[in-house]
Amino acid sequence: MTPESFILLVVGGGIAGTIGAMLGLGGGVFLVPFLALVFDLPMHQAVAASILAVIATSSAGAAMNVERQVVNLRLGMVLEISTVIGAIFGGLTANMLSGQALSRIFASLLLVVSFLMIWRVRHFRQDHTAADEGVFPSSFMDESTGEIVSYSAKRVPIVSLVALIAGNISGLLGVGGGIFKVPAMNMISGIPMKAAAATSNFMIGVTAAASAFIYFAHGHLNPFIVSPAVLGVLGGSFLGVKISRRIRGSLLTWIFAGVLLVISIRMFTR
Amino acid sequence: MDQAVIHHRIERWIGRVLRFGVWGSAGLMIAGLASAWISESTIRIPAENPSATEVLRGLFSGSVDPTSLMFAGLVLLMLTPFLRVLTAAAGFAAEKDRRFTLVSLVVFAMLVGELVYSLR
Repeated sequence: MTPESFILLVVGGGIAGTIGAMLGLGGGVFLVPFLALVFDLPMHQAVAASILAVIATSSAGAAMNVERQVVNLRLGMVLEISTVIGAIFGGLTANMLSGQALSRIFASLLLVVSFLMIWRVRHFRQDHTAADEGVFPSSFMDESTGEIVSYSAKRVPIVSLVALIAGNISGLLGVGGGIFKVPAMNMISGIPMKAAAATSNFMIGVTAAASAFIYFAHGHLNPFIVSPAVLGVLGGSFLGVKISRRIRGSLLTWIFAGVLLVISIRMFTR
Repeated sequence: MDQAVIHHRIERWIGRVLRFGVWGSAGLMIAGLASAWISESTIRIPAENPSATEVLRGLFSGSVDPTSLMFAGLVLLMLTPFLRVLTAAAGFAAEKDRRFTLVSLVVFAMLVGELVYSLR
């Protein structure tokens, strides 16, 4: 491995982490295609690297969110039961599939994600379930308004089902799955966006860890690839969060929805 | 002690565990990459990834070669969510919330089950 390829891995991971954090997708959606298409890494190794990057970014973000009391711990723990089951089966399934099959499933996921990115902008709920109307009541201070937001969750079994699917996709393809969980928590359960995003991010590390050892045991973790990529994604995710506070998101969403479509086609034809 | 105070204390502990895991693993990965780079101008990647058993045997033998350092970082990162769930279980137990202590322990048991199944 030359110094150039090491730097390319850190920079590529950094860009994947930055864009992923700016769009609220996590770094995996961009890291897997980067490693597979640019580095020509076998698909299983690309997914394994992404899973480790997901654990790192989720844990770093969750450390901040949980101390700011935005995470709904009890709801997160309940939903983790579903996501962990889904992730274990996802990891086991991935290791029974060929790299080409995994690549095509990932390409299909990118199509769905690019659609969801645009769709969710118009459909997120601004209201939320009142604290006495549902289960797992919680509250947090909205830093943008300075107000205390009290809420609870409704229809948790349906969200658990979505979490099971999201966990399965995470274990299978190395992405966080927040793109599915956050809209479900917001639109089905009536959880405020900020709490939904923080709780989803809190869960993602555990979901990813549920399949990480499966990839490790199959020998898909190459430390010389994974370490620089994880460090890059970690640094990039901090940068992405800072940038996203300063720029308007809608144009960015349209641009990267287009980018994901192009990547999807490349992954299909790989 | 007030339940809200205990709950906030749990949240702080979970935050600390997550930070320790992320920055500890990042430090080990950086140390591994740096030592690989210092020892050789071009890092030679093994043709085959070592098996999990070989990696764990190397780690437990106290080896500090670049590959072991990086793997130590990766294993610490993979174990961080396990520690986080265990901390949550301990916190819920301190809150005397049996239901959520049990929920946390179920999640922990599933993670450990997957770990043991994978490495068997």
